[in-house]
Amino acid sequence: MSIKVENITHIYNEQMPYETTALDHVSVEIESGEFVGIIGHTGSGKSTFIQHLNGLLKPKSGKIYINGIDITEKKVKAPEIRQKVGLVFQYPEYQLFEETVFKDIAFGPSNLGLPQNEIEQRVYEALSLVGLDYREVTDKSPFDLSGGQKRRVAIAGVIAMKPEVLILDEPTAGLDPKGHKEILDMIKKMHKKEKNTIILVSHNMGDIAELSDRIIVMEKGKVVLTGSPKEVFKNADYIESIGLGLPPAMILMRMLKQRGKHVYTDILTIDQAEKQILNLLRSK
Amino acid sequence: MLRDITLGQYYPGESLIHKLDPRIKILATFIFIIELFLITEFIQYLWILLFLGMVIIISGVPLKFMLKGLQPLMIIIILTFGINIFMTKGEVLWTLGPLNITREGLHQALFMGSRLILLIIGSSVLTLTTKPIKLTDGIEKLLNPFKKIGLPAHELAMMMTIALRFIPTLLEETDKIMKAQMARGADFESGNLLKRAKSLIPLLVPLFISAFRRADELAMAMEARCYRGGENRTRMHELEFHYKDIIAFLVVLCLLGIIVWQRLR
Repeated sequence: MSIKVENITHIYNEQMPYETTALDHVSVEIESGEFVGIIGHTGSGKSTFIQHLNGLLKPKSGKIYINGIDITEKKVKAPEIRQKVGLVFQYPEYQLFEETVFKDIAFGPSNLGLPQNEIEQRVYEALSLVGLDYREVTDKSPFDLSGGQKRRVAIAGVIAMKPEVLILDEPTAGLDPKGHKEILDMIKKMHKKEKNTIILVSHNMGDIAELSDRIIVMEKGKVVLTGSPKEVFKNADYIESIGLGLPPAMILMRMLKQRGKHVYTDILTIDQAEKQILNLLRSK
Repeated sequence: MLRDITLGQYYPGESLIHKLDPRIKILATFIFIIELFLITEFIQYLWILLFLGMVIIISGVPLKFMLKGLQPLMIIIILTFGINIFMTKGEVLWTLGPLNITREGLHQALFMGSRLILLIIGSSVLTLTTKPIKLTDGIEKLLNPFKKIGLPAHELAMMMTIALRFIPTLLEETDKIMKAQMARGADFESGNLLKRAKSLIPLLVPLFISAFRRADELAMAMEARCYRGGENRTRMHELEFHYKDIIAFLVVLCLLGIIVWQRLR
């Protein structure tokens, strides 16, 4: 499932006094099976961008190809795109509405017109992928669950449609550290197992640096940087200048360097930082 | 999608009309509506057009924006026009099957149609040039005299302020939930009436839940800041009458005078 975005522009409130250009000639290519992280300041156009990828928003100009099919064309049917490209919004638990967890997760698959036994199978698989016990939660009301569980049920509702591309918009926002780690582990596990394309939007640089194969940096509706985490975070000063942070491990290394220690600053994960510090201590 | 609704939307600006006291604007709008209903002849619309044109030019709000407000009410306008044109008895001009178009009907339809359009445009000037908060401030002040007979003017105004404040929030929320459900394959646009009504459940349930949650949070936040209603409450921006308000009000009264005089003559 490859995605190719060519030169798309999107304008909100066109021809009104509060007109804003949310996307300004954005071009991006995403390979099949890639794990892509998108970072950017609030209002940089990340959310607008991802909504274009499954046809919820149409660009004013430009083309979007999903597997070679241009989805900006009118004849392309929306449900087909949405089945291939699953989108989990910010705070997805606010979309829960059914009486039971089962029914809520089944909403997507039944909209695809699948037979009942297939739907049941998919709900079961989706629940186990997000790490919830089928028998325990299936007949519960989604509103009786804890915050982290609700979020997982909502994510399962999208996963159950078996999208080849899964987009997650800040899936850990507002969760406690435990819930945060659980969701990330779940995403990691799923990516390993299903080999699907994942696009993760996040403000947590540590997560992005650790998980992504490639990072896209957005600023004022434009893609300003793209490349592997190493390549992107090489521009540490620039990234900080557009209001973004750095991975915690990198910050630590930069601070050590400032104090005159001989360490590399292109460190992205805690594990790498640990090795560096051990080396430093041993060399004394 | 839903953001396109312009009815009652504020158009930011710094014009004289924007700066007028909201009380004057509310009263002037009332008088304007009364004037519209006092009119008996076509030629008198000229006064109204002249006045409305002047106000719109001063306000600096593009005419296109004003006309946009007519769109959602088009059905009512067409219906009024249709009923008047076919249902009025008189000298027959054309016959369309069982329906007759009479000279009187045509006159009546055009007359009523113009009245309705001017009514909508005239009152949209009020909401387009007045911030909702100022509008409710004005209403509260205007209702103050009725407090003596037990009308909870402040509470009413506060309720309106909150309602107005939450319209954009809820619209945004609706948009978001709609998109989230569409991403799960929900279809809000096709099917018969029953199917469409059913398809709204995934939208309405989360929307109600979030509206109640927001109401609860707002009540808490207000209480945390010791809100306790209207008695002895002061405000940050007191409303004050200026010369321009009095002049504006006199202009509207003059127009009323002319129309009443022409009617009595």
